[in-house]
Amino acid sequence: MSTKIACNHCHLEFDNDMMIKEDNLRFCCNGCQGVYHLLNNEGLDSFYEKAGSTKLAPPMVNLDNSSSFDAPSFYEQYVTKDKDGFSKVSLVIEGIHCSACVWLNEKALHKMEGVIEADINFTNNKATIVWADDIVKLSNIIEMIRSIGYNAFAYDSATGESHANKERKSYYLKMAVAIFASMNIMWIAVAQYAGYFTGITQNVKTILNIAEWVLSTPVLFYSGWVFFRGAYFGLKTKVVNMDLLVATGALLTYIYSIYITLMQDGEAYFDSVSMIITFVLIGKFLEVLSKKNAADTLDIIGKDIPNEVKVLTDNSIVLCKLDDVNIGDTIVVGSGERVLFDGEIIKGSGNFDESSLTGESKPVYKIVGDPVVSGTSSLDADIYFKSTKDFQHSTLSNLVTLLESAINKKPRIQQIANKLSEYFSSIILALSFITFLVWWIWPHSFEISFMVGISVIVIACPCALALATPVATLVGLSLGVKKGILFKEAAQLETMAKVDTIVLDKTGTLTIGKPEVVKEHLYEGYDKDILYSLVKNSNHPIAKGVRDHLNGCSEMIFDEFTQLPALGIVAKFEDKIILGGNAQLISENNIDIEITSENSLFYFAIDSVIVAVYELNDIIKEDAKKLVTTLEQQGIKSIMLTGDNGKVAKRVAQEIGIDRYYYSQTPQSKADMIDTLKAENKTIVMVGDGVNDVLALAHADISIVMGSGSDIAVDVSDVVLLNDSLKSLMDAFKISRTTFGLIKQNLGISLLYNTITIPLAMAGYVIPLVAAISMSVSSLLVVGNSMRIRYKWNKN
Amino acid sequence: MDDWVIAMMLGASIFLGAVALFAFLWAIKNGQFDDQEKFLNGAKFDNEDDLNDAINLERKKEELKKNYRPE
Repeated sequence: MSTKIACNHCHLEFDNDMMIKEDNLRFCCNGCQGVYHLLNNEGLDSFYEKAGSTKLAPPMVNLDNSSSFDAPSFYEQYVTKDKDGFSKVSLVIEGIHCSACVWLNEKALHKMEGVIEADINFTNNKATIVWADDIVKLSNIIEMIRSIGYNAFAYDSATGESHANKERKSYYLKMAVAIFASMNIMWIAVAQYAGYFTGITQNVKTILNIAEWVLSTPVLFYSGWVFFRGAYFGLKTKVVNMDLLVATGALLTYIYSIYITLMQDGEAYFDSVSMIITFVLIGKFLEVLSKKNAADTLDIIGKDIPNEVKVLTDNSIVLCKLDDVNIGDTIVVGSGERVLFDGEIIKGSGNFDESSLTGESKPVYKIVGDPVVSGTSSLDADIYFKSTKDFQHSTLSNLVTLLESAINKKPRIQQIANKLSEYFSSIILALSFITFLVWWIWPHSFEISFMVGISVIVIACPCALALATPVATLVGLSLGVKKGILFKEAAQLETMAKVDTIVLDKTGTLTIGKPEVVKEHLYEGYDKDILYSLVKNSNHPIAKGVRDHLNGCSEMIFDEFTQLPALGIVAKFEDKIILGGNAQLISENNIDIEITSENSLFYFAIDSVIVAVYELNDIIKEDAKKLVTTLEQQGIKSIMLTGDNGKVAKRVAQEIGIDRYYYSQTPQSKADMIDTLKAENKTIVMVGDGVNDVLALAHADISIVMGSGSDIAVDVSDVVLLNDSLKSLMDAFKISRTTFGLIKQNLGISLLYNTITIPLAMAGYVIPLVAAISMSVSSLLVVGNSMRIRYKWNKN
Repeated sequence: MDDWVIAMMLGASIFLGAVALFAFLWAIKNGQFDDQEKFLNGAKFDNEDDLNDAINLERKKEELKKNYRPE
């Protein structure tokens, strides 16, 4: 073996003699060479210095024509005008590996005539580009990105994502103001309290009050605006919510404090105003942070569907918009492309990946006359088919419509804290009003009665109650992340703790999801390296399974190499004929077969002699049985759904110990099953991984997806198991239960605390110092209790 | 007299703090903290060239704005 050497552009390592040589430079391909010279000529070569030894992807060649980016239909969908009349587009840039890539793209675009702004986000590879459309076309910009070795595609940013970012940003601004003002008020308050004990002149006290007044005003009316708005919308729908309590409490205290300041007599409570707003705002922000947006999900689905297909007209192939395709048109699907229309094959034959409908990774072989279904994809051949439905009525389009409605209708189980705060708020407001009346009717001045009434609201301290849930869930979420479990929304932790039925998908969830070698038979003349080289270039899952089994082999170069759809691979090496494939391929070449098995078989023959046979099967994950028994003990029933046939389903179900299983399920029937279970008043967790599970996932109360699952499934789901293991599924249940317990404790603490302090406040015993201290103590109790979760976790 | 000193000190320090706060708010609004990686790398990599680039871009934008007449 010769020495490996790194390519000067992409830094991937290859054998020295395979590379393109140019003086001292080495390139792995023409693409890299081209980019390297382009960057040098443009004076952008400091890119390599910035990139260090980061490995890049070699530039792609033969990309589609970029002129489609200039089509009016594209502009209509993705390009917007900014306030100065310049065009603006959001792109996702492919191939960004390091910050130097971001630098290079921005720099290259900035150098272009007519480009005004190019801003690329390193974290999510999304770019916003603003340009003057009369000077430069979008296609030129795309060409530039491609010429330096990256690729770009458009996405529609108008909907969910930008909205969520905006909301988050506005919270940052509000919190910055609130925290700044509160911290300043705190040190002024230190002077106030010191004065309270050691004596202070009224003049100094007034100065301090005015300073606090100035600082607390933006906190109440800028940062605290969300509470006024929330209270208003609550009242409109006749709900007394937490926001109303916070808003009235803070506002009344604020007005009262102004009165005190102007009268120059008594104690002002500006510090309470800003503290309440700041604490509760932080709590609210924690909730917003973990909230996912349904609109985001729909973005991703749209991205997966190209907006044009290839249609055959009068012997030439033209690109046609989806809505313009009529029933009966002949559509061409290249190998590896997705089928977007339902139809019937009229020319060509090949394997189709139907995993998006059935979940099974085994490809289905189709010939002329067979139906093709939208959403599947052709693996290895160019297929011509006649469409039998238009796009609006295709299976794929139906699936998307169903999914959209399912996401929008997803039920929200009301959270315990929300329910509680509703009652709590009404009670406190009523109590404070009664207290005021009683004090006033009993002979007291208006001022004193008013102050006592307010002190009830202030001491009721919404902080502890408002923080009870967010802090507990945040601890739960971070614990989940450590174990490889991503809860997308904090509220899901609570819902998950109430689940009584779990619905599991078979393929990819309970089983590994792809064929693995379970048995190998080796005979004389077996050559590991040749076999590895043979299967390395095939996309077929069986070949991939064999390849994964044989790791650490070196690669040979064949003289000839052909892939036969539905049969296998034929290659020539040093005048020997190499065959690798299924039984049909072997018998067609007149070789006898002896082995029979219920597993899938892969035969490997050299010069008409079988030298190896591999048995492959989809094996069950190791923790599957344990999961089902553990959940059973906790009173959670398991149900298995699969798109696979009854025989396989029965075998797997028996092995794992599930009595209730349903087979030959379509995406729609899986979702119906969930609805039926829901009608029985069950709270359901659905666990799946593929596109075929998406509908069912969207219908379930909680949906959990394997991290390796399809993008759409990951997006629709509430919980993602990053390491695909069933053990983390068990952990997810455990975490949610612990967190739910914690929420209940926290609420209990804050309620207990209130039952002690509220009567004191009503009796008029609360002096400002007590109010201030008790406020922090109650919040600290709740936060401290939440931190205990780690200890509790170890104990369980 | 004493009261004045306290009032002035309070006013001056709150004012200075407010200036810093507004700078921070401006930076958030401007999107300077949107991309954590880029923001940190800026400190590592930005040099004279990048500053020149930024100012050239700003000039280019102004110029285009002047001549640009969207139909």
